[in-house]
Amino acid sequence: MTFQETLLCTWRVMKREVKRITSRPIYLFGMIGAPLICLIFFISLMRSGLPYELPIAVVDMDNSADSRSLIRQLDVFEQTQVYIKTQSFQEAREAIQKGEVYGIFYIPEGFASKVTSGRRPKISFYTNASYLIAASLLFRDMKTISVLAGGAVGLKTGQAKGYTDKQIMAQVQPIVIDTHPLGNPNINYSVYLNNTILPGILQLMIFIMTVFSIGSELKYATSREWVKTGGNSFTASLVGKLFPHTVIFFFVGMLIISILYGYNAFPLQSGWGPMMLDMLLLILAAQCCGILMISTLPTLRLGLSFACLFGMVSFSIVGFSFPTPAMDPMLQSLALLFPLRHYYLIYVDQALNGRAMFYSMGEYLWLVGFFILPVIMGRHLKAAMLYFKYIP
Amino acid sequence: MSDNTDKRSNIIEGINDLFWIWKDEFKKVFRDSGVMIFFFLVPFGYPLLYSFIYNNEVVRDAKMIVVDKSDSFMSREFIRRVNASPDVKVVAVTGDMAEAKKMLDEKKAYGILLFPEQFSKDIHRGKQTTVSLYCDMGSLLNYKAFLVTATEVSLDMGKEWVLHSSPVSTSELERIKVNPIPYDSVALFNAQNGFASFLVPAILILIIQQTLLLGVGMLGGTARERNRFHCLVPINKHFQGTLRIVLGKGLTYLIVYSVVCLWVIVIVPKIFSFPQVGDPMDIYLFFLPFLLACIFLAMTLSGFMTTREQPMIVLVFTSVILVFISGISWPESAIPPFWKALGYLFPSTPGVQGFVRMNSSGAELSQVAPEFRLLWFQCGIYFISACLIYRYQIIRSHQLIRKQYRFMKARMATIAQKKAE
Repeated sequence: MTFQETLLCTWRVMKREVKRITSRPIYLFGMIGAPLICLIFFISLMRSGLPYELPIAVVDMDNSADSRSLIRQLDVFEQTQVYIKTQSFQEAREAIQKGEVYGIFYIPEGFASKVTSGRRPKISFYTNASYLIAASLLFRDMKTISVLAGGAVGLKTGQAKGYTDKQIMAQVQPIVIDTHPLGNPNINYSVYLNNTILPGILQLMIFIMTVFSIGSELKYATSREWVKTGGNSFTASLVGKLFPHTVIFFFVGMLIISILYGYNAFPLQSGWGPMMLDMLLLILAAQCCGILMISTLPTLRLGLSFACLFGMVSFSIVGFSFPTPAMDPMLQSLALLFPLRHYYLIYVDQALNGRAMFYSMGEYLWLVGFFILPVIMGRHLKAAMLYFKYIP
Repeated sequence: MSDNTDKRSNIIEGINDLFWIWKDEFKKVFRDSGVMIFFFLVPFGYPLLYSFIYNNEVVRDAKMIVVDKSDSFMSREFIRRVNASPDVKVVAVTGDMAEAKKMLDEKKAYGILLFPEQFSKDIHRGKQTTVSLYCDMGSLLNYKAFLVTATEVSLDMGKEWVLHSSPVSTSELERIKVNPIPYDSVALFNAQNGFASFLVPAILILIIQQTLLLGVGMLGGTARERNRFHCLVPINKHFQGTLRIVLGKGLTYLIVYSVVCLWVIVIVPKIFSFPQVGDPMDIYLFFLPFLLACIFLAMTLSGFMTTREQPMIVLVFTSVILVFISGISWPESAIPPFWKALGYLFPSTPGVQGFVRMNSSGAELSQVAPEFRLLWFQCGIYFISACLIYRYQIIRSHQLIRKQYRFMKARMATIAQKKAE
């Protein structure tokens, strides 16, 4: 077959595939609907960037002007809201167990009088670490207020002794830590999570839809007709079939990227190019993985199960929530087999930190490396398409 | 009198059919490898996998580079203490910020601690001094490890310095001076702030719900594919009543999932020693409405599945949404009302909330009463909807049979007519 003939056959398969996609709503749901639902969900869920006004219980055993002022200051923090004020620790603990509050701030009896007489009253605070994000945000606020309370005493003593404010601060806190969270100065959780979750969902749906479109040909015994349309060329058939998917997924991927970096203006240090390339390669790599899945398990439901399980695990193993280097070494090497892992590393380099292309080259090459999969597994799939008797 | 016996024999027949359907469904479950994957392989394997992934719970030895322009006794002592902490490991000390940045680019470390030139001088002059922490924000847990460690060291060394530079007479006075209001913090129910103890309980609940939805959806899709009229209900004398179908099938799933739950909520947390402080009896009682609600929801949804594979395309991606809607990672109080309302439609939302609070925080059943009630309510609603779906399917299949019958009869008549002519 000449090159032109191959192109013609590919074109015919493409036309056939577009007809298939548009004639069944399940295709459009899987390729466009599902990613869009998730896009809307996650962007609107984390619109504020951080959860605000997290409820806590305050146990004020002192109930003095000083303790009340301390509580007011705590309440002023953006992320903390004093939901219950009580004098019984039991009540506060039950509020935690009922899920009404995520933390308890405890001020002991005689707080004000002990402070003035130098008897060092002890403040305690508790966070419900079953809710990790809420707990760590509340921990920060409650710790800050506790340190400040101690500092206020030092400030008063210093003022009484006639020191300047600068001298006092050097006494209260000689060494200050000045933090620079690079690329995400407000520690925006939407930046932290959505930059990987949304491409992860796209990857999951690409796995599923690639397996589904090839697997249904096997299931409904139309694969011979499909190969015939492709002029008996395996490459033409496969490329023709998956290219329309690539185009649709590319548009969805670009939509995700434009919502993330355009509409939400998330950090994009290296400009649009590297991330667009990253997304395109993720889509192609995921399609290649899909081909691998249906080739190794050439029945629709097993192939799909493979796609679902692999796609779901990638959210955890990619390491944007729990870092991969902190996992078992075996899992660290396993993580390399997930296209999303490389996408994530490129995102950290390019969008978040704006590093030179040179440092991401290896990850781009990994994504390109996934293109080998169809070449290796091709024979398998070809056999399945032509000779395999489908067992439902 | 005859009416009464009629009713009685009807009920007896119904119960017999119920058990017939129960047995039949059991066979279908165990014969279908696709369903077996979701009913057994996933619930048995996934909890192990997730627990394995998050098993280290916290980040230890997060890699840090120090740029020490001060190169003084104070800064070296600071570095030594940071390195001695369990969470941070100093991989290199240099004098050059550009070199440190390059190492960050090469992923040899994830954070930089910068001591300015005048660090030691400032302290000795009685001025407040600043140490800068730069952090790669690719992962928040690294950032947290750096920040907590650096802050602790800075506070400790600051206090020591104050005492050293302006000593007081007694140790009690020392304490009053540097720490007039001490504080302590307690991380309740998950003492080491571990990641597995936080996320895995929620994942366990979701696995139960999602595998049920997928497996039952698959059974429904298969039934329709195999059926001549693409109906959910087969043409069979045992499948005549709605109640017997819904209850018979429901019983199958309940029995299978009692075994699955035993593994997921009793054995897996034991193997990986996740926090388990709840009363087991309370948790079992809580699981009854949860399982029933999941089962009836699954049966309702299975009415909409026309092929075996459809559930996987339609349902799998919702797991990611449901984790966040359940309020375990993103706090419930920060979820927009619309999504919160949507979350109430799924048993996983109250299920995760209730299970985590009972299992991890030791709440009693009475303290999760709102969730418990919501689950029973969902159970009731989804039972009714499952009945309606099957009722509709029975009627539809009867209509189709009648239509087919009439069609065949008409054809036979025309053939007979033609022959006669």
